[in-house]
Amino acid sequence: MRKRIPNIAGAILLLFLLAFPLIYGRPDYDYIMHIMITGFFYAILAASWSMLTGYAGQFSFGHMGFMAIGAYTTGLLCHYIYLSPEPTGICWERGFFDQYLIVVNPIGVTSTTLTQDCLRQAMEVWDGTVKVTKMPVLLGIILGTLMGALAGFLVGMLVLRLRAAYLALFTLGFSEILKAAISAEIEITRGQAGLELPPLYPEGVTLFGHYFGPTAKLPPYYTMLALLLLCLGILAWLARSKFGLFVRALREDQDAAAALGVNITRYKVLVFTITCSMAAAAGAVQGHYVQIITPNMLFLLQMSLVVAMAVIGGLENFVAAAIGAIFLQVMLELLRNSFVIGGIEVDMTIWRLVFFGILLMVTLRFFRNGLIAPLISHFRRSGIAEETIAKRKIDAGGAGS
Amino acid sequence: MEFPALFWGIVGWMIVWAVAGSIITRRRYLSRDLDTSNANFIGAMAGASLGPIGIAAIWAKTPQTSGHLSVGLGLLTVLIVAVTFSFADPENICVTSGSFVASQFVNGLIIGIIYGFMALGLSLIFSILGVVSFAHGEFYMIGGMMVYFITAVWLPGINPLVGVLGACFVAFATGAIFERLMLTPMYHGKIDRPVEYGILATFGLAFTLQYFVQALAGANPVKAKRFVTFPRWSWPEWADPAWIKTRGGSLTLFDQVSISSPRLTAAATCILVLLSLLYLLNRTWTGKALRAVSQDREAAAIAGINPDRMNMLAFALGGMIAALAGALLVQAFSWLPQVGAIPAMRSFVIVVLGGLGSLPGAFVGGIMVGLVEAAGTGCVPDAQKAASYIPAYGMIVLTLTLLLRPTGMFGRRFASSTHGQH
Repeated sequence: MRKRIPNIAGAILLLFLLAFPLIYGRPDYDYIMHIMITGFFYAILAASWSMLTGYAGQFSFGHMGFMAIGAYTTGLLCHYIYLSPEPTGICWERGFFDQYLIVVNPIGVTSTTLTQDCLRQAMEVWDGTVKVTKMPVLLGIILGTLMGALAGFLVGMLVLRLRAAYLALFTLGFSEILKAAISAEIEITRGQAGLELPPLYPEGVTLFGHYFGPTAKLPPYYTMLALLLLCLGILAWLARSKFGLFVRALREDQDAAAALGVNITRYKVLVFTITCSMAAAAGAVQGHYVQIITPNMLFLLQMSLVVAMAVIGGLENFVAAAIGAIFLQVMLELLRNSFVIGGIEVDMTIWRLVFFGILLMVTLRFFRNGLIAPLISHFRRSGIAEETIAKRKIDAGGAGS
Repeated sequence: MEFPALFWGIVGWMIVWAVAGSIITRRRYLSRDLDTSNANFIGAMAGASLGPIGIAAIWAKTPQTSGHLSVGLGLLTVLIVAVTFSFADPENICVTSGSFVASQFVNGLIIGIIYGFMALGLSLIFSILGVVSFAHGEFYMIGGMMVYFITAVWLPGINPLVGVLGACFVAFATGAIFERLMLTPMYHGKIDRPVEYGILATFGLAFTLQYFVQALAGANPVKAKRFVTFPRWSWPEWADPAWIKTRGGSLTLFDQVSISSPRLTAAATCILVLLSLLYLLNRTWTGKALRAVSQDREAAAIAGINPDRMNMLAFALGGMIAALAGALLVQAFSWLPQVGAIPAMRSFVIVVLGGLGSLPGAFVGGIMVGLVEAAGTGCVPDAQKAASYIPAYGMIVLTLTLLLRPTGMFGRRFASSTHGQH
């Protein structure tokens, strides 16, 4: 019975998360929902990072880079690609079935001048007679995920020979180069000004006869939760299959695994591809949800949040990492309130991060498997000793008779 | 300013042949059962500088490569890029103005010395603990902050030397305490993967320190006064020497090259401290013990050295070096709690370029990175884009070095498994 406690608790938590937006009715509804959605976003990143680092032992600091690849792929595609039944004559365009695929020319952030991009100019001439179709958001997210997978594949191929500290530095370098490139190419990515994205559901959605507008929080909540559950499902399936075993062998001893016939090249590249595509998918969905992406999401601080969440949850258990991420995100937001002790005002917006860092170090030092993973394994493994003893007795009895 | 297609054509040609040379040479060396650690680099350089001819020559003379050859080919590659650049953009200030080049060179050299000094601390920590300290930038930040607080807030008007010494002391103590509390379980086999643990632990320290300082000092930039004001040397009019002029904050050589006082004092102090550090490492018992531990922990322990104490000393010394660099540069830049990120990245680049764990490599690498950066900021035509790309130059060098020659210029293979090469 005790063994099933984690499963029951997990089911209760899941039911609570599913029912939460329906039962919560306080005035700060939107704010709380935003925190939860961001929590799910970090949970996907922490879970996939713990697969990459905890299971496969590939210590990567570039996870936010792949996230940004996903977000910027869908952002740029939605920003620059349109379908129109009429040719504009000034844009780059190509026949696409019976319509025209239009790539808008980048005009950058020089909004002080009155230059418009070529499609806007053409639309002014048409004066509403031609209906231009935008890129569907779902397609953008899928392409972003594929782009993240491709980038993960390439990086995985490049880092085959690198281990531990070298790998960490290489992935950090990758992320920094990406950040610099996005910040510098302001004509295309609009740099620090940020790229605007269409909302996740541009026309809004109607669920059970209830209409939710493009900025309503409920549809993105369920979307992000569904993505999180999908990622966790894939990760759980992978971890239980041959893949999980081989990947853990890779972590423990690469050479021994290779000697025992594990195709280390294939599994290393595969684990990079899969986890990076998850990060990219999370980035793409989050980008459409917050509707603006900037290169600041590549700051090392963001990566350190994911790292800390995964470590505090449990580095070698992705479910624990995901729960830890949601829990910490909620905690960090709730701790924002400043308070006064003995006439000194404590500005919790900064101090909460100090406590967070101390919590990270204490967890690392004294709770090596994180704070949540040991709880799960405690219940899972309870009674194993008695069972083993009982089994041995039976075996011994059987052998004796 | 748009570059002509010729420039990009030549660069593209070089990249294609470099990739081809790298792959071909590695294959060739693998098939001959030779040491491939240098093959990628020399193949890439031969391909980039001489194209197919270079690759063919390397191919024909397979086992005979030397350090001189790879250095020569590398220099040739750099030369070809520079010449192509000057032909592609003849009006550029780097091509037309000699004094500008000299000034950029001197300033790049000076800032490179400071970078190299800072990276030296990182390299010292890596060579002994096997940990890449992600808190290096935070030690740098603490150094500057301490100098500011001591000389401007707590004891206004005191000699800046007190501030610098105080900063060093605080960083040394922080490093020693952190090492004792957090990193000790690494050495006794209590942790499965010590390298990852070390990275995560220093990462946690960086996070905590940065926000701790921000909570205490606020997020507004602070700036310390310059330590040294040059005396005005006044000669009679006719004897005024042409080669040196001093004004309060800067020193001008030959009317062309201007060096500011903060940078000059920082570089001079760095060289002095570097010399004393070399003396410590090479001439004293403690230094010999440190080097012994970095070569072989167990053998050093048998010889009567306490490796744990050496670890503590190395981490504290490394942190102190970073703090000293910060304490010297706080007079040149304005200071924020986040200021450590960029020098930390630069230190990573430098130690990887020079070879992780190699002390001379860190210094030479620092000077190279300083020069490359000066060239990159001064010569790339689009100034705004160049400024945005500065962090990327170093990171490109870092990723390329890791791909082509992970041991760096002066790298060595470590005997123990803690350094993450086994």
